[in-house]
Amino acid sequence: MNCLSVSTSMEGRRSNLPIRSEKREREREREREQYRSSMLQCIFLLSDSGEVMLEKQLTGHRVDRSICAWFWDQADSFKSLPVIASPTHYLFQIVRDGITFLACTQVEMPPLMAIEFLCRVADVLSDYLGGLNEDLVKDNFIIVYELLDEMIDNGFPLTTEPNILREMIAPPNLVSKMLSVVTGNASNVSDTLPSGAGSCVPWRPTDPKYSSNEVYVDLVEEMDAIVNRDGELVKCEIYGEVQMSSQLTGFPDLTLSFANPSVLEDMRFHPCVRFRPWESHQVLSFVPPDGQFKLMSYRVKKLKNTPLYVKPQITSDSGTCRVSVLVGIRSDPGKTIESITLSFQLPHCVSSADLSSNHGTVTILSNKTCTWTIGRIPSDKTPCLSGTLALETGLERLHVYPTFKVGFKIMGIALSGLRIEKLDLKTIPPRLYKGFRAQTRAGEFDVRL
Amino acid sequence: MFNQFGSTAETLSKASAAVLRIGTDAHLYDDPEDVNIAPLLDSKFESEKCEALKRLLALIAQGFDVSNFFPQVVKNVASQSSEVKKLVYLYLLHYAEKRPNEALLSINYFQKDLGDPNPLVRAWALRTMAGIRLHVIAPLALAAVGKCARDPAVYVRKCAANALPKLHDLRLEEHAPAIEELVGILLNDHSPGVVGAAAAAFTSICPNNFSLIGKNYKKLCQILPDVEEWGQILLIGTLLRYVVARHGLVRESLMLSLHGLESNGFYEKDGLVGDKKDGDKSDSFDANLVSLVSKCYIEGPDEYLSRSNGVDTVAASFDSKETTSVGDNEDVKILLQCTSPLLWSNNSAVVLAAAGVQWIVAPLEDVKKIVKPLLFLLRSSTASKYVVLCNILVFAKAVPSLFAPHFEDFFICSSDAYQVKAHKLEMLSLIATTSSISSILREFEDYIKDPDRRFAADTVAAIGLCAKRLPEIPTACLNGLLALVRQESFAGDLELVDGEAGVLVQAVMSIQTIIERDPLSHEKVIIQLFRSLDSVKVAAARATIIWMVGVYCSLGHIIPRMLTTITKYLAWSFKSEASETKLQILNTAAKVLISAEVEDFQMLKKIVLYVLELGECDLNYDVRDRTRFLKKMLSYKLACHEPTEDSVASQENIAEHVVEHVFGRKLKPFSPLNLHNRFYLPGSLSQVVLHAAPGYEPLPKPCSFVVEEHDQLSDSGRQREAMSGLNGSQESSETVDEDGSSEYDSESYNGSDFSSDGDERNDANDAADPLIRFSDIAVSTDQEEPRSKRALDLCASYNNVPTLIPMEELSCLEPGQSAKRLIQVRFHHHLLPMRLSLHYNGKNVPVKLRPDLGYLVKPFSITIEEFLSTESRLPGMFEYTRRCTFTDHIKDTRMENGKDKFLTICESITLKVLSNSNLHLVSVDLPVASTLEDATGLRLRFSSKILSSEIPLLITITVQGKCNEDLNLTVKINCEETVFGLNLLNRIANFMVETSSSAS
Repeated sequence: MNCLSVSTSMEGRRSNLPIRSEKREREREREREQYRSSMLQCIFLLSDSGEVMLEKQLTGHRVDRSICAWFWDQADSFKSLPVIASPTHYLFQIVRDGITFLACTQVEMPPLMAIEFLCRVADVLSDYLGGLNEDLVKDNFIIVYELLDEMIDNGFPLTTEPNILREMIAPPNLVSKMLSVVTGNASNVSDTLPSGAGSCVPWRPTDPKYSSNEVYVDLVEEMDAIVNRDGELVKCEIYGEVQMSSQLTGFPDLTLSFANPSVLEDMRFHPCVRFRPWESHQVLSFVPPDGQFKLMSYRVKKLKNTPLYVKPQITSDSGTCRVSVLVGIRSDPGKTIESITLSFQLPHCVSSADLSSNHGTVTILSNKTCTWTIGRIPSDKTPCLSGTLALETGLERLHVYPTFKVGFKIMGIALSGLRIEKLDLKTIPPRLYKGFRAQTRAGEFDVRL
Repeated sequence: MFNQFGSTAETLSKASAAVLRIGTDAHLYDDPEDVNIAPLLDSKFESEKCEALKRLLALIAQGFDVSNFFPQVVKNVASQSSEVKKLVYLYLLHYAEKRPNEALLSINYFQKDLGDPNPLVRAWALRTMAGIRLHVIAPLALAAVGKCARDPAVYVRKCAANALPKLHDLRLEEHAPAIEELVGILLNDHSPGVVGAAAAAFTSICPNNFSLIGKNYKKLCQILPDVEEWGQILLIGTLLRYVVARHGLVRESLMLSLHGLESNGFYEKDGLVGDKKDGDKSDSFDANLVSLVSKCYIEGPDEYLSRSNGVDTVAASFDSKETTSVGDNEDVKILLQCTSPLLWSNNSAVVLAAAGVQWIVAPLEDVKKIVKPLLFLLRSSTASKYVVLCNILVFAKAVPSLFAPHFEDFFICSSDAYQVKAHKLEMLSLIATTSSISSILREFEDYIKDPDRRFAADTVAAIGLCAKRLPEIPTACLNGLLALVRQESFAGDLELVDGEAGVLVQAVMSIQTIIERDPLSHEKVIIQLFRSLDSVKVAAARATIIWMVGVYCSLGHIIPRMLTTITKYLAWSFKSEASETKLQILNTAAKVLISAEVEDFQMLKKIVLYVLELGECDLNYDVRDRTRFLKKMLSYKLACHEPTEDSVASQENIAEHVVEHVFGRKLKPFSPLNLHNRFYLPGSLSQVVLHAAPGYEPLPKPCSFVVEEHDQLSDSGRQREAMSGLNGSQESSETVDEDGSSEYDSESYNGSDFSSDGDERNDANDAADPLIRFSDIAVSTDQEEPRSKRALDLCASYNNVPTLIPMEELSCLEPGQSAKRLIQVRFHHHLLPMRLSLHYNGKNVPVKLRPDLGYLVKPFSITIEEFLSTESRLPGMFEYTRRCTFTDHIKDTRMENGKDKFLTICESITLKVLSNSNLHLVSVDLPVASTLEDATGLRLRFSSKILSSEIPLLITITVQGKCNEDLNLTVKINCEETVFGLNLLNRIANFMVETSSSAS
């Protein structure tokens, strides 16, 4: 009686997870022999209304689709967990563009492996279908099946390299669609094994030939920043990717070096990058895949400034709030800042909103998401959003405040300051074009009110 | 005519409807059944077949059962079109297990495709064949895998590696050594792609067969960076397990840091841990927790359970022999070298796996290099973020200093999912240091104003946790929290959303946890809380405050003076309270009364009596129960007039003691961490779901794998030895394999091992006397006991269909003695063996009995006409033929004696057949040939019925060849039960080839 019946929420949440009893644990351990060798057992694709669009059984231990109904019926907070222990299976899920990819297993396996794989499936599908939504998946279900069959075998990933998949299963394009309408017969399954599938550089077909050799390097950066309620820049960092597009004949060996690699806080590489040269003198040496790919991603921390400032003000009194938000350029990056947007979620207690701006358009959706599309900052005035929010009856003042998400895009500059020094080819093919580009856009740019 | 018009019009309209989704399969998904699928499957045009198959797949996708099309679909496996083939394979794999009999029909085509020059065709055939998972074809599939494992194409070898787990799944004990051998071959492949797949096979088939790894360890490490990302994940884990099993844990690593410190103090010598010398050891890492973590990584569930009974046996006891060091162990060094670049991998699972190795094996000062890569993972998808955070949390709990400088990475952005936010909060409260706490608290202030109130409540809880960890900062927190309580209760006046209540409750709880550390200095805070009681409306928060009234009622000087007022207030509000608050009021009333001072006693007694009266007629029975209980306990107090009055009766004295014990006890000193948490290996599913998932295996016992053994013993023998040596739990008895070769050879089962006494076992083998001889559904258990005084007891495990009529137990067998018992078994199905276990001297050996197929049929006498008509009704898929050679007749002496050669041949064939199976000879056709030397055309017909199902089974043996030479026999079986037929056919073909010594 001397103790409290309420535990702190931290511990409470963890123990809420089902099935923790040790007895059950031992029972399961005894069962495990039975399912030992299968990793993922089944993949389901669910539409945003919870309909099972597709099921692909991967092993002999079939998973009944009723598990999807169980999953869909769970409370939102539990359902959104990426790893769920259901009474019969462990579920992994990712949600991409409204489509839920759900994978089931009954045995211990690295959960990140399942999640990464599902992400890879989603990437490949959206690449093949030109986006992802319910109709696209249903219309192209055969391709989805063929891709899944190629990508995973017996619950273990088989071929996930997009370039090779492309050679095995042709993506739907206009020609093949027309052909199938006219002749009713157009196979998209290749008869031959892609040459890259077995080589030591599985990401590259053995001997592609191009009349003109081109290689482009793009620095694509995203700025993550947090401005707290005092207007102070709490965190500002860049997440960047080196994206390449290469169309090179033969077996090219490339080296890419940066002028200032020391700014990089951390990085991750495409499998084609050799570790040793990077370890010794920070040079990227690699045999590129054919076509588009992401060579590396990196992070630059502790930036001092954001290109934009956002100054929100809010005062609330006797049931109404006055809002005004100013947006302007803080430090000029030297290039135009384009497609500036500001979006925020109105708090639940706001019953109606009347917002207007002196530049750009303001839209308020029914789910209380407010978006202010500014575009470019005009030279003559400072864009300003102002208006009033009416609170629900009975509330005097606002006690919760929204967070503004800022979007922008700057072409031609990498805000991290990372510079590419040079790109060398070991053997220079005839007619070689090299190109470099850069762009920065907003990633997780939060301004709290 | 008109029909045709109709159909074109229909297709036209369909085409126009689908104009927006031109060329896609949209119409097939929307209306898969708008045409009759069956005729399309039989069409001679590939495009129509293709369409039909697409329709079937659409139905499968939508969850309909279309297995009834199986026979028609299977036929199309022979198609030359790759798309049709692919679609058929997709269909086949989906339904093969449901329709095993028909699935068998496709085997021939796979066999053919396996010889195709196109590697893609070979790979597909192999994948599908292994994927069908039928016991019957397992030997064929295994042979195919064995062939493909040596295929020139890398892709095919990769598929072969992937096929091994499929075969392993069928639990064919007799093939286990062959499968493991193949795993070994593929692990040794020079192509990284194959090695990756082989590593996956290894993990699922024989994760503890470290000799396979030991052979190639260095090579595997070198090839690791080139292996495909998915293979890397599993290979990293395998290599780690090998190193631990072979060499034990590393002395310099975090896992053993504590013991290193205690035992030989080499830390001081080498100056390994700089920050330790600076003073705050507790900040650098939590030694108790680290040792708990390392213990958890190694111990299995049983040990965990046994440990949790005993309270604090946390101090691990690793034998110093079971450890190694990075400096002088080449294997450990290589492992660290080859996994550290993988921290840059593009695949988060690989990064986490590599980080896990560094965490467990790397020397303490190198562990920090995992920090940045792990933090970088937080920029990936929401789902991976969550999993990574789950793992980082454990690292941070053990060594908060690792992540402390990077607290900014755990600041929350608005797009994070709720779970991610919650984990980040926990992380922040774990790694907060005196230098970072001010920025963290400022962040927390922002979070409290977040529209997501659940998250705000968690933030408040996190503030409490921070204050618990860092005793210097509570004052700042407390003021903020108190302000929050006031503000929330103020806002709460009007309308209370669920979330708001949560924030308030958490605020009160956090204040309570801070006060708990040092109640005296926070007296004013307590008083403020009591004052706010009137404005706080949330039941849980009120209950907590009221509870605090009871606990701190005798604290300081001011509170005791307030007590009467507070109690009065509580009594006054009792009626309108929620029941959880009522319970706390009752408790508090009792506590207050006990600690009451003389001047207030009468007043308090009255109030308490009033409250008890109210409680006794409450609607809630818990409240009523509690009231009665308290009334009884406090009766002595309520009866007397002065608090210090001496009670006379001894009984009352006891009551007083009880009451003192229950209510007057001081609060327990607060413990920083619950040490009974269980941890799982980093990157595992179990660590995320927080219970051991089936198949979770802790690290192997340090140094449990001794390499010398491997040199002396054969592979399987060694494995068995290792297994039984390890623990002899049920797990090992499952994997003990019989080293038999042929499926029907009963002798093979005497391998069930007496590993301790190999000599006697050899004797048994030499005498060619099987341990358990199987003859005509009887088992003689002779000579099975090499040692005396061993109780033997055969009992069946009833998990399979064969049933056993119980028999008596053999209580004792003397050396050399033998005893016979008759076991009667009813085999309901020919493929399910009888599983027996042999118990002796407390040991347990699994034995399997498999019936000879020839005895699962009974003679069925019919006339030749009936035979022929039955045969004609069983064509096509019910008919199987196999060729074999027959030589018995050559040795037959009567051949030379000039007897009728045909007759002799007939006799010897019939003898052979009938002595091996229960059949009825229906007829013999003699050839009408020009020469008497040519036996071509000789035909024998046998008939029988399957015992279990009474299904007729017809056998026709046709002879080809010269009388004096080897004859070619064509054995044909017609039977509806195709699987049985196929098996019996193989059996017959097998025994026909064997030359029998007893041909008379």
